[in-house]
Amino acid sequence: MNKPANFSRTWKKITENRIFFPLVLFLLILFFDFLFIPGFFNIENRDGNLYGSLIDILRNGSVVSLLAIGMTLVIATGGIDLSVGAVMAISASVAGILMNPSALKNEVFFVTDPTYTFQPLWVVICVALFVAILCGLWNGMLVAYMKIQPMVATLILMIAGRGIAQLITNGLRVQITYRPFSVIGQGWFILPFSLYIVLFMLLATWLFTRRTAIGMFIESVGINFRSSFFSGVKEKNIKLLVYIICGLTAGIAGLVASSNIRTSDANNIGLFTELDAILAVVIGGTSMSGGRFSLVASVIGAMVMQAVTQSMYAIGVPAFALQAIKAVVVILVILLFSEQARNFIRSLGSKKQEV
Amino acid sequence: MMERASNFISNNRRYIPVLATAILAFSAYGIGAIYFEGLRNPQVFLNLFRNSSYLLISAIGMTFVILSGGIDLSVSGIVVLTTVVSAALLRAGWNPWAVILLVIAMGMTMGVVMGSFIVYLKVQPFIATLAGMWFARGMCFFISDNAIEINHPTFKILGQTRLLIPGLKELADKQGIPAPYISIPVVVGFVILIAAVFLAHFTRFGRTVYAIGGNQQSARLMGLPVNRTLLLVYTFNGFCSVMAGLAFALFVSSGHGLYAPGFELDVIASVVIGGTLLTGGSGYVIGTLFGVMVLAITQALIQFIGSLSSWWTKIVIGVLMLIFIGVQAWLTNRKGGRRASLDAQAYRRPRQRLALVAGVLLTIIVLAIIFIPRLITPSAGSTPVSDQCEVKPFRKDEAASLIADGAVVAYHRLAGPNCIDEMYAIYPDGRVVGDNGTSQVEANKDPAALTSMLMTIRDEYGWFTDEIVDTYHVPCRQCYAHYVIIVHDGQEKGTTAVDGGVSMPPGYGYTLAVIRNFLPVMPPAP
Repeated sequence: MNKPANFSRTWKKITENRIFFPLVLFLLILFFDFLFIPGFFNIENRDGNLYGSLIDILRNGSVVSLLAIGMTLVIATGGIDLSVGAVMAISASVAGILMNPSALKNEVFFVTDPTYTFQPLWVVICVALFVAILCGLWNGMLVAYMKIQPMVATLILMIAGRGIAQLITNGLRVQITYRPFSVIGQGWFILPFSLYIVLFMLLATWLFTRRTAIGMFIESVGINFRSSFFSGVKEKNIKLLVYIICGLTAGIAGLVASSNIRTSDANNIGLFTELDAILAVVIGGTSMSGGRFSLVASVIGAMVMQAVTQSMYAIGVPAFALQAIKAVVVILVILLFSEQARNFIRSLGSKKQEV
Repeated sequence: MMERASNFISNNRRYIPVLATAILAFSAYGIGAIYFEGLRNPQVFLNLFRNSSYLLISAIGMTFVILSGGIDLSVSGIVVLTTVVSAALLRAGWNPWAVILLVIAMGMTMGVVMGSFIVYLKVQPFIATLAGMWFARGMCFFISDNAIEINHPTFKILGQTRLLIPGLKELADKQGIPAPYISIPVVVGFVILIAAVFLAHFTRFGRTVYAIGGNQQSARLMGLPVNRTLLLVYTFNGFCSVMAGLAFALFVSSGHGLYAPGFELDVIASVVIGGTLLTGGSGYVIGTLFGVMVLAITQALIQFIGSLSSWWTKIVIGVLMLIFIGVQAWLTNRKGGRRASLDAQAYRRPRQRLALVAGVLLTIIVLAIIFIPRLITPSAGSTPVSDQCEVKPFRKDEAASLIADGAVVAYHRLAGPNCIDEMYAIYPDGRVVGDNGTSQVEANKDPAALTSMLMTIRDEYGWFTDEIVDTYHVPCRQCYAHYVIIVHDGQEKGTTAVDGGVSMPPGYGYTLAVIRNFLPVMPPAP
């Protein structure tokens, strides 16, 4: 009698953990890979660096993971940021133009010297992230102070942002040949360097929200911004803050993405990634109407999206056709994550008790 | 007097956004017509409608969705799926009318499915329609990887028939200019527009849509058929998307899954600029027509100004949206009544308002510091000569004949700041020949370097892989258009691309760079 009760309590504890559902999903996809794709779990060791399909998932998922970290906070306040893809393009363009300003001379001029850069790397990164933060500030202003619906307010930058990015690069693709910059997206220190960036941002944001009261403020604003205002939370500043963080993470993601392809391409960098990021957050179990959030679950959600993509590539589905499959998976996931399905899984444990 | 004006404004607040858009559209056209003689041509005016007929059709459907408080991101997906499916079926020899009926059924089915997800399974409209877009775009590539041409006579007739406008024809005859005309999709667009105005403002269905957009909960409590109406709204939008897709297919006479990127954003923007509140429940279908016109005129003006590049369109649309959304936010906040004013007292402290103004000013100043040097630099260097460049089609046959003569690389380069037209051929023995129509140059390079270059192009830049695809579009005023054929190891592949960043694959850019290192210096053409 004691044992089942104990089991059901542990089961309940496990299933109520926010990381449970995304993790189960991730493992399910990996299990599928294990059954159908030979060699998916092979990890090669080349000069002390690890390579393999699993590592690829982590590496390619880093852009969406970064976005998901910022997006989680925004969604937790009951908002949404559609402009992250455009902000990625803007930060990549700023970085590109600071390293290779030849695009402004109205010609496609290829620098092939891997040590040439117009500005030192730290200036490039700081300026790009500063511009990204400004974009976040702009969104936050519109949402918090002008009281415009988040989706509408960020739609403006989503549309205008790519235009601005093209304005910065004069409409050209800027080739980035500067070697040290490519470390951001392509470097390996046992594991891919971009993975360390994700881990660092995850840790920093986690400490910032969970080791201070800010995380609680964010959740209270998301649950009811009016009552949190009346209980003394500066809800406008909280909203402003989350959009600024979202801008920053989008800026970092833009740098990773542009370093990955060694080009700053205002039209294609971050195209549709805002949707990936939002879905990653949804898979991570954060409600779209705001409230409780989990950063780790969102990052796992991003990895789930990437794992689906990677497995489909491994099976041999062409890149563009993949979208159709992704759509089906997304709908399935959302249905699986609906309250009914969750309650069913949770009830598995308690039913045992009744028997 | 002031009081009367203010009363008039508050009594007719609903019409202000629509009126503002209409005034904006006509004044933008008027001001443009003063500066540019070309815009005064009636045909140019009608072209605004011809070139944006698909935008209009799609925006009408979107108006209903937004009025009901939802959003539909799947329109661009359904548009491209329509182009691909109809092109594929026509190629397979189907009857064109059967094709049209089939794609309409397809679009409406997609609308019903997405609507059911939203209505019955409570999926957010944003996510359900997003999945719809991915699904539709992905399906295009299951049907065909490459663009499929449409050259069925019926589609040609539908796309190219010129409908003369009765009054204008005589007027044009008097002035001795060719009679202005519109196309069939424009007429279809206006028929759908009239039907939609009737549907929105004179039927029970329309009133229900407004009620749902105002407050879905109260609409349900009032006993209105909320579920059925929402389902119908998404079905209607599916229908409109397919009609827009057919108009688009007639416009470009081919089908491909990568067409119309970001089209849904243009559609949403034109609905918002047309005065429909994105939260739903307020707006007019006729406003959407003006919104589409504003977009079309913006595009036309930017083309006529010439020195501004196409991406300015996006920025202008963004700014217009900001203004409209801001004004509407102000109007809604104003009518809130007592509760809103109480809130306002609590929220708005003078210090915060000051901080807001300072913040906005700061943002604008910083953005200006960043962007103004960029704006000045290119204009100083550019030459007015480039404005008159007529881009010729690629001479693919000539390039193919060079390859047949034994060349391993044939490279045709067009346009650019000096409007060039150059053809180069690189032979396996290192001989490089270039021709720009007036003069010829020849150079001898190291054959070993040529071999290693070709290896690099094959292995590192993936020239023969699927990554390198045709990405031709009309080049911008400073951009070059490229056509390159490379033969290596028994593989031969020729693709087109354009500078200027729209879609050129990275490997293509690197390939051009290494090929350019091989080319002799060409004397400037006269």
